[in-house]
Amino acid sequence: MVTDPLLEIRSISKAFGNLQALDSIDLKVDKGSLIVLLGPAGAGKTTLLRCIAGLENPDAGDVLINGDEVTKWQPNQRDIAMIFDNLALYPNKNGYENIASPLRIAKAPKDQIKSKVDEVAGLLKIEHILDRLPGTFSGGEKQRVALGRAMVREPHFYLLDEPLSSLDFMLRIDLRTELKRLQKELGRTFIFATPDYTEALALADQVVVLMDGKVAQMAPAQELYDKPASKEVARFVGNPAMNVVAAQISGESGDPKLIIGGSSIDLTDSDKTKVPSTKDVEIGLRPTAITLLEGDDSVAAGYAKVSGVVNDLEPLGMHTTVGIEVGGESLVFTVEGVRDYQDGTPISVAIDTSALHYFDPTSGSRL
Amino acid sequence: MPGQKFTWYNGIGLLLALIFALFPVLWMLSTSFKPSDEWVKVPAVWVSGKPTIDNYLTVLAPEVLLEDRGGLDQYDEDGNLKQRSDESSGGGAQGAIADFLTKSAWQSIYGSLILASGGTALSIIVSLMAALAIARYRFGGNFTPFFILSARMFPPAAIAVPFVIMFSDVGASDTYWGLILVYAAVTVPFATWMLKSFIDDLPQEIEEAAMMDGMSRWKAHLFVTIPLIKGGLVATTLFIFILNWSEFLFALVLTYNKVSSIPVQMAKYFSATEGLLYGAQAALATVSIIPLVIIGFLIQKHLVRGLTLGAIKR
Repeated sequence: MVTDPLLEIRSISKAFGNLQALDSIDLKVDKGSLIVLLGPAGAGKTTLLRCIAGLENPDAGDVLINGDEVTKWQPNQRDIAMIFDNLALYPNKNGYENIASPLRIAKAPKDQIKSKVDEVAGLLKIEHILDRLPGTFSGGEKQRVALGRAMVREPHFYLLDEPLSSLDFMLRIDLRTELKRLQKELGRTFIFATPDYTEALALADQVVVLMDGKVAQMAPAQELYDKPASKEVARFVGNPAMNVVAAQISGESGDPKLIIGGSSIDLTDSDKTKVPSTKDVEIGLRPTAITLLEGDDSVAAGYAKVSGVVNDLEPLGMHTTVGIEVGGESLVFTVEGVRDYQDGTPISVAIDTSALHYFDPTSGSRL
Repeated sequence: MPGQKFTWYNGIGLLLALIFALFPVLWMLSTSFKPSDEWVKVPAVWVSGKPTIDNYLTVLAPEVLLEDRGGLDQYDEDGNLKQRSDESSGGGAQGAIADFLTKSAWQSIYGSLILASGGTALSIIVSLMAALAIARYRFGGNFTPFFILSARMFPPAAIAVPFVIMFSDVGASDTYWGLILVYAAVTVPFATWMLKSFIDDLPQEIEEAAMMDGMSRWKAHLFVTIPLIKGGLVATTLFIFILNWSEFLFALVLTYNKVSSIPVQMAKYFSATEGLLYGAQAALATVSIIPLVIIGFLIQKHLVRGLTLGAIKR
């Protein structure tokens, strides 16, 4: 017997005026999983979450929860918890009442509310702020209370809209670890929207990349990094962003030659099998696949030597981001330690030719 | 500016502003206790040396005053003063018994309370729903807020005449409900705009959080939105109440003798011999601000901002 997925979205579309916020989105979410919606600002993450929640009516398409068509249902009929990007605590209620609110609305008995709230507060380590108003909370405390308000009930699943976005860097990492622990321990289903790829990779079982209202890629976290479906996804995932440069392919199909910025790149036999048959391509190369050649000019097998001049330098303490210009194309990579190159300094780098990605220059999709 | 020191020149500026704002009120209070010869005396009498409560008697208990002056007997059946030897005037209309001497202002005070409360309640209920529809459901797109306000672009006198005709056709003239409807109609645009701005200030996500927590839309508005805009709601209600309380034109043209309001009554304090009775008008005006002052004190603590402090991350 095939069981229905917990949540199924069938070609949801939504436009605001001329802006196509969502363009025929399909998605399936299984119980107990942690799905991350990843995408830049304006990609449609929030709109998609709001359509799932019932706060927004899609122009077309269906939302199914446990096989029930709920597209026309009101938010309170869907049994979903949501954490908003601005958290939206009730400012006139203290921490306890904020967390208790869903149970009060459901008219749960008093003692049950008390034990539930205490349990959640203990889990989130916020017992000490329960009798205070949200106005006195720190950012992390607000975040935890919002989380508590969602966790106090057991809805079908949780929607989290950039819940960590405004927290300090360290706190964000702490909370994200904790969030993942809670999700696994309690076996709940999370749909988490974020513009931060590190958050996505750290949290997700499955990442859905949204761009311009479309699903750009749906893949497990690592695959997203290793095999981005398009150059937009490739550049969005990873920091510094992947280098994407124009390149030409010549030679016959069995023995292709790759030319970047006028210089030919030596390919190994296994690399050659991955070279597409088109003539003009764009090459994607992660900064991590580029290493600086110092002193000894020789390169190991599987690496190609490229020479150029420094055109950008960004010292970042433990490492330095270096930009080099190779025949009109720019490549960025990082080097350990502090470097003090002047613009125009000639340097050579080794490129890991097995780590090359090929993209169609017009559509941007992976070849 | 928070933390800034309050200096003596701030104090003086504040004092001047206060004097400027409160002078008419002081003058009104002072006049209400002046005998008639001091009302328009030059140079001005600031505080009467021979204060009297006659003005208040004229307004609230004219029968007492009438009794003092010899009772109704001195007037003939048409309300004219019977000829007396010491009366130098030519009698006739000049001595006609004024309407206000036989009828106290209590009816108009009562009328104003009904009209202002009824008109305000109706206006606020309609406006609150309209403001929610516009602010939260983008009802009518961008056009509706402007369209609503257009009703206020005519001078009231321009719509008063059509109202008179319509009201006599449907039998709404000289009724409380008729005037209450008019008061609601003319104040709804203001109230809608004011309430809309308060609702706009409240992050929509707070209501949506309530819906996700299990409330229906109606309940979310009722139990989350409205308590959170309480300060604005109270301010708007007070504002609309004051508008209705002091409304003159519609009350004048749409009422005759069954229904009256304070401003209409005030205009009646006119005597053929003495002209406008400033003292009586000042006395009625003083009486009429008492409810507003009481309400103002009662709701003061609700007129606070910053109620949404801490609701959202900024």
